[in-house]
Amino acid sequence: MNTKRIGAAATLALAGSLSLAACGSASNGGSTTSSSSTGASDTASSSCGTAPIKSSGSTAQQNAMDQAIAAYTAKCASAKVTYNGVGSGQGITDFIGKQTAFAGSDSALSPDKGEPAKAQAACGSPAWDLPMVVGPIAVAYNVKGVSKLTLTPDLIAKIFSGKITKWDDPAIAARNSGVSLPATPISVFFRSDSSGTTDNFTKYMNTVDPTDWPTKHNKSWDGKVGQGKPKSAGVGQAVQATDGGITYAEWSYAIVNKLNMAELDSGAGPVALTPETAGKAIAAATQTGTGNDLSLKLDYKTKAAGVYPIVLATYEIVCSKYADPTVAANVKAFLTYMASSEFQGTLASVGSAPLPPAFQTKVQAAIQAIS
Amino acid sequence: MTTTTPEIERPIVPGLGGRSASRTVKNTVATAAVWLAFLIALIPLVWILWTVFSRGFGSLLHVSWWQKDQSGAGAPAFDHSLRGARHAVVGTLLMGLATAVIAIPIAVLTAIYLVEYGRGRVARAVSFMVDIMSGIPSIVAALFVYAVWVTTLGWTLIPLCSSLALVLLMVPVVTRSSEEMIKLVPNELREASYALGVPKWRTILRVVLPTCFSGIVTGALLGLARVMGETAPLLLLASYTQYLNQNVFSGSMAALPTLINTQSLNIAVPIAADRVWGAACTLIILVLAMNLLGRFIARFAKVHK
Repeated sequence: MNTKRIGAAATLALAGSLSLAACGSASNGGSTTSSSSTGASDTASSSCGTAPIKSSGSTAQQNAMDQAIAAYTAKCASAKVTYNGVGSGQGITDFIGKQTAFAGSDSALSPDKGEPAKAQAACGSPAWDLPMVVGPIAVAYNVKGVSKLTLTPDLIAKIFSGKITKWDDPAIAARNSGVSLPATPISVFFRSDSSGTTDNFTKYMNTVDPTDWPTKHNKSWDGKVGQGKPKSAGVGQAVQATDGGITYAEWSYAIVNKLNMAELDSGAGPVALTPETAGKAIAAATQTGTGNDLSLKLDYKTKAAGVYPIVLATYEIVCSKYADPTVAANVKAFLTYMASSEFQGTLASVGSAPLPPAFQTKVQAAIQAIS
Repeated sequence: MTTTTPEIERPIVPGLGGRSASRTVKNTVATAAVWLAFLIALIPLVWILWTVFSRGFGSLLHVSWWQKDQSGAGAPAFDHSLRGARHAVVGTLLMGLATAVIAIPIAVLTAIYLVEYGRGRVARAVSFMVDIMSGIPSIVAALFVYAVWVTTLGWTLIPLCSSLALVLLMVPVVTRSSEEMIKLVPNELREASYALGVPKWRTILRVVLPTCFSGIVTGALLGLARVMGETAPLLLLASYTQYLNQNVFSGSMAALPTLINTQSLNIAVPIAADRVWGAACTLIILVLAMNLLGRFIARFAKVHK
């Protein structure tokens, strides 16, 4: 009796573990077809990577990156690129810790924190910052009956610092003749999480109007008024649901939530946010890096006509010389596609702006120099 | 079992006038309080299950959910196809399998040592360590693996790292449950075996373990079910990827918790929300299945007693 029971129990356990294993192997079986089914056309026009590459970093370029990966894998079925939106800081940490092939970041490697030296130690060669995607920051609002609104840099700083509290404030009305502004109170929404968008937006306000926004730029919101909402999607939804709401958000989220975007008058007439006006801000930027390190300094105070200056340039941080040539080839293949005019032309549809053509050439040259 | 009235079990004693009014009131109040507490405890459980199933079950009905991974998915706001969770389901199962393969032998052998051989200071130390290990927060286990693997050895993270962190969480759970099961084996069985001249190791292998086998398997499966839903180690150690990966020794591997985490960044977008709830629903079903399998094995073996 004893042996019988043992046998039964053992058989069952064996069957159990086998069925578990079968579960795993069954799923393994059809995998090759499922993963390659998306790669419809494998054009040989540009080189394709073959080995998987891993990257992580800024969430500001997550949408553009997702789109780039989808389009790239559709072209190159064998290539697998993974990008995890873990935030710029963590992305750089992963890169320095040799966990990823490249990092996405809202800001170039900072010499103050010794990041270039650490990256050089990890790569065994200098690391380069390559601007890849221009992320314009929209000042998005929701005021009933107002579909066109012009703001100046100091109005933006006054609204977000709480010095202007009503939409029919004379200061706003003076800039918007012909628009009937209601007496709705202004509800400011800001990002409650640590964000590169907040960092760039506060840097902008602090640069153009230090009297109304005296605090330095910060990834966390330092303002005294308003409500915090998590992530770009959160502030976008909040404004959509609130009459009198205003926020700053990456352009793509303003588009997704169908929000009105304010035009910006920096001194040469109102400028709407378009791929061209944002691209001009990047074209006017000065290069602070040397050689193929293309880190940029934006000119927020510009008074040039037709420039929308509230943009953030997001970088890919790469090694100039990879220890493993396969990784180098794969990174080059993917970034070459990302910097190509073919892909940059589609960026506007996901709410990012393309690099100006002159810059595309520079970035392409730098990518070709990676070895 | 009996559905007869309480009067039969507790007959009214003549002369004492039955249950007094105050005792009846107390009885009713206590019963009501216990029921109320039970119902309150049930609210969050039912609420969670209802929310997850009502929002997530729809995703599970798509064939592509089980057949495809997320490769080719663009930015969620501009992508309108649900795609699948196969990469995450396979990842969760493979990582669970790797965890079980490492953890169960260690745990069962430790339990055998503690019950059958362990005497004195060493056994007490081992037992104490198992207690301490079961108190380790999962994020600390993950940080430990990260510190050893990345910071000290300088290696690239592989999916097996997540399994190693889960092993640290699973070993104490399975050790304790196996220990209890082995202790339940009557000493008479062991003595009878010794009396027949069977050596100790053979007694353990042929008498003790088979007797408590179902209990050990149940404990192991419940332990596995517990670590499969674990999230913190995965967030730190398993980088998410949208592609299917079946090799625990290289690359990145998706798991259901990391799929949820990644897609929840865009929870405002309906398609991303569908993926999040679908993955949550899948994870609950997976863990539930593991639990049921454990209980089924326990019951199956009991029938033959």
